[in-house]
Amino acid sequence: MSSQKKRPARIEPFRHKVETDPKFFEKSWKKLHDAIREIYNHNASGLSFEELYRTAYNMVLYKHGPALYENLIKTMMEHLQEMRRSIEAAQGGLFLEELQRKWDDHNKALQMIRDVLMYMDRTYIPSSKKTAVFDLGLELWRDTIVRSAKIHGRLLDTLLDLIHSERMGDVINRSLMRSTTKMLMDLGSSVYQDDFERPFLEVSASFYSGESQQFIECCACGEYLKKAQRRLDEEAERVSQYMDAKTDEKITAVVVKETLTNHMQRLFLMENSGLVSMLVEDKYEDLTMMYNLFRRVPDGHSTIKSIMTSHVKETGKSLVTDPERMKDPVDFVQRLLNEKDKYDNIISTSFANDKGFQNALNSSFEYFINLNNRSPEFISLYVDDKLRKGMKDANEEDVETILDKVMMLFRYLQEKDLFEKYYKQHLAKRLLSGRAASDDSERSMLVKLKTECGYQFTSKLEGMFTDLKTSQDTTQGFYAANPSDTGDAPLISVQILTTGSWPTQPCGTCNLPPEVLAVSEKFRAYYLGTHNGRRLTWQTNMGSADIKVTFGNGSKHELNVSTYQMCVLMLFNTADCLTYRDIEQATAIPPVDLKRCLQSLALVKGKNVLRKEPMSRDISADDSFYVNDKFTSKLFKVKIGTVAVQKESEPEKMETRHRVEEDRKPQIEAAIVRIMKARRVLDHNSIVTEVTKQLQPRFLPNPVVIKKRLESLIEREFLERDKADRKMYRYLA
Amino acid sequence: MAARPGGGGRVRFNVGGQAFETTTTTLANAGRDSMLGALLDSSWNAPQAPGPGEPEAAAATEYFIDRNPACFAVLLDLLRTGSLHVPPHLPEKLLYREALYYGLLDHVRAARWGAFDGDRLRLASSVPGRAPGDGTAIRASPDGGCCVAHGGAVHVYNWMLDERRPISLDHSQVNDVAYLDAATILIAARERLGKCDGGMAAFSAVSGDLRHRFRVAHGSEPKSFTAGALAFDAHGAPRIFASCKGRLNEYGVGVWDAATGEQADFFYEPPGVALGDADRLQWLDATGALMVATLFPKTDNCSIGLLDFRGKGVAWSWSDAGTAASLEDKRVLHAIAMDDERSVCVINQYDDLGFLDLRSAAGSGGVRWSSRSKLMNRKATGEESCYPKLATHGGQLFSSMNDSVSVFSGPDHVLTSTLRRSYGGAICDFSIGGDRLFALHNEENVFDVWETPPPPII
Repeated sequence: MSSQKKRPARIEPFRHKVETDPKFFEKSWKKLHDAIREIYNHNASGLSFEELYRTAYNMVLYKHGPALYENLIKTMMEHLQEMRRSIEAAQGGLFLEELQRKWDDHNKALQMIRDVLMYMDRTYIPSSKKTAVFDLGLELWRDTIVRSAKIHGRLLDTLLDLIHSERMGDVINRSLMRSTTKMLMDLGSSVYQDDFERPFLEVSASFYSGESQQFIECCACGEYLKKAQRRLDEEAERVSQYMDAKTDEKITAVVVKETLTNHMQRLFLMENSGLVSMLVEDKYEDLTMMYNLFRRVPDGHSTIKSIMTSHVKETGKSLVTDPERMKDPVDFVQRLLNEKDKYDNIISTSFANDKGFQNALNSSFEYFINLNNRSPEFISLYVDDKLRKGMKDANEEDVETILDKVMMLFRYLQEKDLFEKYYKQHLAKRLLSGRAASDDSERSMLVKLKTECGYQFTSKLEGMFTDLKTSQDTTQGFYAANPSDTGDAPLISVQILTTGSWPTQPCGTCNLPPEVLAVSEKFRAYYLGTHNGRRLTWQTNMGSADIKVTFGNGSKHELNVSTYQMCVLMLFNTADCLTYRDIEQATAIPPVDLKRCLQSLALVKGKNVLRKEPMSRDISADDSFYVNDKFTSKLFKVKIGTVAVQKESEPEKMETRHRVEEDRKPQIEAAIVRIMKARRVLDHNSIVTEVTKQLQPRFLPNPVVIKKRLESLIEREFLERDKADRKMYRYLA
Repeated sequence: MAARPGGGGRVRFNVGGQAFETTTTTLANAGRDSMLGALLDSSWNAPQAPGPGEPEAAAATEYFIDRNPACFAVLLDLLRTGSLHVPPHLPEKLLYREALYYGLLDHVRAARWGAFDGDRLRLASSVPGRAPGDGTAIRASPDGGCCVAHGGAVHVYNWMLDERRPISLDHSQVNDVAYLDAATILIAARERLGKCDGGMAAFSAVSGDLRHRFRVAHGSEPKSFTAGALAFDAHGAPRIFASCKGRLNEYGVGVWDAATGEQADFFYEPPGVALGDADRLQWLDATGALMVATLFPKTDNCSIGLLDFRGKGVAWSWSDAGTAASLEDKRVLHAIAMDDERSVCVINQYDDLGFLDLRSAAGSGGVRWSSRSKLMNRKATGEESCYPKLATHGGQLFSSMNDSVSVFSGPDHVLTSTLRRSYGGAICDFSIGGDRLFALHNEENVFDVWETPPPPII
């Protein structure tokens, strides 16, 4: 414009000459530059902060911010390069110390530089999107020192070497380690992670992979676990001492993976020291350690669980199927209880009462107890044994705990109705023979069964107790009504049993001796007189009698015998010698019972009140019997037992089973009808599932049986098959 | 902090020739990150080896500071008492400059005005505008500054009410502005025919530089668009919402990740619901939904809805379609969701407040209008009026009408205060933020700053 010849009229702006000092920037910067040098040289005491601050302020104020920033970077770089050379020159173990010293120096200097340039930090930096002075200093340190070619690898190697030698048992300077990792963290979490943590984890992984390989070759399982635990503790302690807390989780994962996860199967299945032998030998401490360690391993607990389960199933199976064990039911159940106690203890002491483990244990017990279909009988026999004589040496509390344990086994039973059958029989025997030791214990057992299976399950059992109570009252009433008859006539005590509540067997009635018959007829008259419309049947196979005997040699004894035995013995009041046939004819006792009864009278040593000719073990129809006049006994009262087996004989067992099967039929039918009434139409499979679900608390119905019941119901026109779909059943109202 | 000079925790200053004496405790209030904090820090006061023949006691120096003593007195008083008292002869700008030198500007800002209370507001300043034409919107910054949108430009003011560099998005007509944070402003602008401009962008509030331009892609193909109302969800992964109109009927609400600036989602307008034209967006934190209001006069039928972005559906909606038959009928002109997110407050052309229950399904309850006939009378005398606006803050409800702002308090929203200034005409927009209320007037582009004075001494 100014080159134009003809200049138009122009108003020149009045130029202010404000730039007073052309050397302003250079002078100011020199002041700051010198100050920075002094600061790095630990010679800051001569500096005036106010002057420096004012200088920096003026530079920013007069728009020299960008140049100031650039020069700051340049100067800081120069000092850092110098520091780098001195760190690189440090030999061996002094390297870390030198690095640390320089880092402290730099930090201190940086703090002071930031103070001087505070105004720039506040004004120029936010508006220009630059890095603040302090962060800039850290970045420069990171790029110039920590990540420089000669220091980067050396620093990492030094740290990892020190950690390795500490793992090998040496003592290292932990505070130096701590300050070095702290420096890395101060430079930003990514620096710490990339330049230290990741390589550290890699090196640790290979270290532990090697070490665990070595240990597993030569150590027993428990010992190995101890070592692994110690290593884990060491690593956690190491992290807390000189690493970022976040590393804890990562290094633990590495150790767990290398030492535990990778060797899990081998550890568990170790011969002579693995999981199974720990279980067998009750090594609570080792098991606790294993449980705690493998908590961190995925699938760890489930693997322990499955190994334990299969072991329990196996030992349980061999226990319940061992024919040797079948001989003693009490011992059989006691062994089951001991097994249960053992594993309960292991779970409570070592496995922290883990619900999962408890469930696994329960299911394995359920599995093997039901493998033997005599388990219900045996458990009932065990209870019988405990309730009969256990009271003498055990107080009620002990019995309570035993009963509680038994209930645990009872819960595992699938055929609870079978147990009920046996329990009823055994209870009846106990009650009738007056050998139930404690009424309280009996009742407590009933309460337990009731809470477990409901009112229905125990209503009949309770009925038995009521019967006994009323019988006592009735007998008393009878004698109160007939007081005259107390003379020579035998005393009778009658138990009136409600039909259905008691496990009665169809019994052949026998001919009672006339003395007894007279009294019992009198009682019958009395009872029917007080209770209208009832029927009394004598269950002679279940009674007992006390009779006084005077033997030929003059010895007097009181014999406690069964009703059958009494009938037989009374015959000898009128005869000296009787043949088997005579006895059978006179008493009409069923042959099986009679034989057993004669056996116990004539063939049991020390209790042979009768003498048999010929003297053979078996009883045949032509044998003749005499009163054994030479009978002697130290005791006045002699109890003649019946040769009877506690355990059921094979045919009896079959019979019980048959009876149970019969009893189940109406229950299954009732369940089917209940379900169909609600659902109207249902397919076969659903019915089977529903019926099984409904009856589970009592027994596990067989699908084949359910099908038979369905067919029977169709025959009786409770149900019909759907005409279109043969799989569907329809309820007929 | 070293307390050596002076001894007994006493510190002596010589500021521009005037002597001051104070204690280290008082100076500790300045904080380590201030010039005074650094000045007294031990690293700058390393023990000096006493020179030969120089007794150590003589080292009890005073600090010299080459600054204005009058301002230093005010700032020292601020450090001593925590309250700011500016003598009448001292210009505020001078004080601010000095405070910035000492790194005490934040202290001054905190003591300058008190916590916001709608019933204790006092007019602090009126700032005349220079821009031609009507103002579109005024927004308060979280730090007490504000920005005013006029036509194609946005004027930015810091909390000292100094104007910074104005910002614009290709000088396109600005539809809405919002502060993402104290340092970042979002602009939503109209797309001009034939040019690929408009849309949405983030600017530095300090320098006025363009920081990021938000894009919209439909089917991975980038498209230009007109951005309308803005909203911001600050919780979790921060997100930005804007109502968008594309040229090819791509109407809806765009969603961007506030950290990366990338498009995160696009809620296409379902038939019968106007989203792309929405006048107002508001993110409801507790509900986790976006309130979208399209209002008169943009559409004849106002509609308000809540968008659920996870379920991709309209969670709640209300419309006055079918109810407004004549011009005399009450039309919803502005809407705001209340703080408890249970109801939406609306206002009509008679300045009646109304409420919509968000909990009742599909707004079936309709608007419960609370009539304010007393106020309606004034309306008749107003020559030129603006559409009323609503705002909430700390449980109080604010509405602008004509040349005043009404403050409603309490659960029943009782009118408790009216803020009015004599000139400038009707208020076309107002905003609350940074403990201040900014009201933009229709005429002359003047805006008022209302703030709560510091609490009384006793």
